[in-house]
Amino acid sequence: MSARENILGRIRAANGKTGAASAAEREAVAARLRTHARGPLPSMDWDPLPRFKERCIVMMSTVDQVASRSDLPAAIARYLTSNRLPLGGVCWPEFADLDWGGAGLDIAARPATGRDMVGVTGSFCAIAENGTLMLLSGEDTHATTSLLPETHIAVVPASRVVRSMEDGWDLLRREREGLPRQVNFVSGPSRTADIEMTLVMGVHGPFRVHVVVVN
Amino acid sequence: MQITSRDFKRVASRKLADPKLQKALGNAKGKLVVTRARSILELDNYEEIREASARVRDFGLQNMDVLLEEWERRAVAAGTIVHWVESGREVNAKVIEIARRHNVRKIIKSKSMLGEETNLNHELEAAGLDVRETDLGEYIIQQSGETPSHIIAPAVHKSRDDVADLFAEKHQRRRLTDIAALTHEAREILRPHFLDADMGISGANFLVAETGSTMIVTNEGNGRMTTTMPRVHVAITGVEKIIPTLEDVSMILRLLTRSATGQSISNYLSFTTGPKRPDDKDGPGEFHVIIVDAGRTKVLASDMREALRCIRCGACMNHCPVYQNIGGHAYGWVYPGPIGSILTPSYVGLENAIDLPNAATLCNQCGVVCPVKIPLPDLMRKLREKQVERGLRPWGERVGLRLWAWAAARPRIYSLLTRIGARIGRLAGGRAGLLHKLPPGGSGWTTGRDFPAPKGKTFRELYARERAGKRSGPQ
Amino acid sequence: MKVGLFVTCLVDLMRPNIGFAALRLLEAAGCDVVVPATQTCCGQPGYNSGDRIAAQALARKVVDEFDACEYIVVPSGSCSGMIRAHYPELFAELPEYRARAEAVAARTYELTDFLQNMVRLERVPGKFSGSVTYHDSCSGLREMGVKSQPRALLSKIPGLTIKEMQQPEQCCGFGGTFAVKYGDISSRIADLKCEDVQAAGADALVLGDLGCMLNIEGRLRRRNDNTPVLHVAEVLAGELPQD
Repeated sequence: MSARENILGRIRAANGKTGAASAAEREAVAARLRTHARGPLPSMDWDPLPRFKERCIVMMSTVDQVASRSDLPAAIARYLTSNRLPLGGVCWPEFADLDWGGAGLDIAARPATGRDMVGVTGSFCAIAENGTLMLLSGEDTHATTSLLPETHIAVVPASRVVRSMEDGWDLLRREREGLPRQVNFVSGPSRTADIEMTLVMGVHGPFRVHVVVVN
Repeated sequence: MQITSRDFKRVASRKLADPKLQKALGNAKGKLVVTRARSILELDNYEEIREASARVRDFGLQNMDVLLEEWERRAVAAGTIVHWVESGREVNAKVIEIARRHNVRKIIKSKSMLGEETNLNHELEAAGLDVRETDLGEYIIQQSGETPSHIIAPAVHKSRDDVADLFAEKHQRRRLTDIAALTHEAREILRPHFLDADMGISGANFLVAETGSTMIVTNEGNGRMTTTMPRVHVAITGVEKIIPTLEDVSMILRLLTRSATGQSISNYLSFTTGPKRPDDKDGPGEFHVIIVDAGRTKVLASDMREALRCIRCGACMNHCPVYQNIGGHAYGWVYPGPIGSILTPSYVGLENAIDLPNAATLCNQCGVVCPVKIPLPDLMRKLREKQVERGLRPWGERVGLRLWAWAAARPRIYSLLTRIGARIGRLAGGRAGLLHKLPPGGSGWTTGRDFPAPKGKTFRELYARERAGKRSGPQ
Repeated sequence: MKVGLFVTCLVDLMRPNIGFAALRLLEAAGCDVVVPATQTCCGQPGYNSGDRIAAQALARKVVDEFDACEYIVVPSGSCSGMIRAHYPELFAELPEYRARAEAVAARTYELTDFLQNMVRLERVPGKFSGSVTYHDSCSGLREMGVKSQPRALLSKIPGLTIKEMQQPEQCCGFGGTFAVKYGDISSRIADLKCEDVQAAGADALVLGDLGCMLNIEGRLRRRNDNTPVLHVAEVLAGELPQD
């Protein structure tokens, strides 16, 4: 008997079940997974976009808004300059077509390395409840871009702001076949309070997260 | 981790007398209790979510086998290599085996309490592997050679000066005192290891059956690094972490982060399903998940079963008056506080942790804040019952309790004894009505407190006299 | 209302005037009070120490003594909690007593809860001029839902004001035999409660449980703090101890 069989056998015995799981038992569990019903949610009687922006700030991100995609390089250049940050970094391939050079920025469309200081990503969607970015790993949505650089800039289309994590999962189920390798919910800059319970931003992940909402 | 729960009393006394620890504990208590309370107010249906979360955890326990099989099927379909392991020792052996197979030299680790249970780091190092804890608190205690004193904030017992001294020594740099500067120094020191480690080891907060995923809840970014950068990622998890659906996890997370640190949401929630996909530009080439029993099925079969609902938030210990004053080390194993008082004897043996379920006032400050409604004081009491059944209590205590019950069941004898006791007590208390020293058996009280003396007569005798007076009419 | 008064073993031995205070209050409320003469202890010391046999012996006796009463009222959160919250479970393996125990449990009340919510006492006999701070006993609060009731009743005394301490719901560290088995931890917890009491700056500390009372008073006195420590029944009934 393998360890697997031993463990599963002990679990069944512990639950007062004899013999193997019946078809009915399996179907009951499978049905629950298929239905994936939501549990009770807290009230969410706020408008998603204002709520999202407000909660981003509570989670210590900064927020900007632009009228259209083509305004992004200038808006991002303004942010980097006014915060005295490096004017170069990397971005996800979806932003390769933007006029970075015209805004005075040197942005390469490739995954981040340990040397890149700024990373520009999009997002699968954004979650208003807590000011969260939902990022999916993938061929053109490199995980390192939002993780290694000190500054993470996230582009969020206003139409992709949903209310809750549950809404995010439903959107993912509608638009994709299953989960990618990693789904990351990012809510602000990395932080810790491990020394004397004192909050410090910028631990292993980015020091700062700047969210730009595009109309 | 080595088990030192038998030293509970001695260590607890030492901790009570440690001014630095007392300061750290006071600081932690103030912050953690207040921030949790504030964040809970954000949920207008907190108790409803809490009840639903307890039910989800119970469903998970009751259907653990079928759910794990559902999880495994989907995990394997996504390319995950799944291992099942029965004991803690085998966990370590399996990790080492995977490391050897992949010519691993350097390992980065994101927090795992299960890894503490099995003494993983120690075994990996003995096998010649370079293991780096990357969670700042775990990194600090790894450097100082200590064990964690809290499951969420492992270095909560250390002051900034402790950390400053430690870093100056270990990093061979100028001593810094600013907390942000110390944190950023650790970031700088650990960053190269994130980039060149061969293997990442993480725990798992939950397994999601619906998608075959593991998930971790972090704030620092080390969890994302550990599960993305190295070429091999190994996640170790207890069987009890299984949750049915993504919706269930999303619901429970609302309570987990608030109960643990008072955050509405933790910085990073990472759901991993399989290794690098063909078109991915990053991610580990191999992803292993080791599913571990290590005593859990035994607890599942016992009347301590509800303790397996635990989602490792730490709220119970943050609100426990005992933990608040002695810290985590006295409990002597991986899990301190109320949950530790139940899990430790359950996993390491009742006789090796006798003090733990007894060193509690049963105030239920813990049970009230447990997000999954574990009846902690009731479980502690049940462990006390088991100690009595197994003859593990001191004979003086057993005899004393039986004598009390014998006497109190006999009203006339009890009456006599209490009348004598009330009079002796009153005399002993003198004019001030206070006893400064109680006889052996009671000296634990009077080392720190006076004992107010009885008034000299019992209620029953006075009441009987009053009734007799009434019956015989006015004089 | 026909009420059986269970004074508790600590009141009987240590503070009989609290038993009389409870009696007077119930009589003032118009209750028909019986005080079963053979009462001793509810069995909690054995129960919390894990000795079910010892606990059951005393619990059976309580059920026998009180099951003819319409209501059972107790001037203690911990003893009333023992009966209401724990007797049903304690009798799990004694089916012949279980139904009766459950019935007794369902009719058991902590004193202030009974006076405020069942009797709806409008006026209390006691007189007190000054401020008090109130300590919520853990079992009273978390097992019997006692929080607003003592405060509401105390507020009926003209001249009495309530000054809340920072953490009235924080455990005082008594915990029954915990107080002697882990005396140093218990004393430290009690000490923090005493600091809170001191900082509240009230003329007296009022509470509803003897265990807490002896513990906090004992620590206050060792700290050379003479703040009077009073049971809510004695304040409400005007039966303050004569020394």
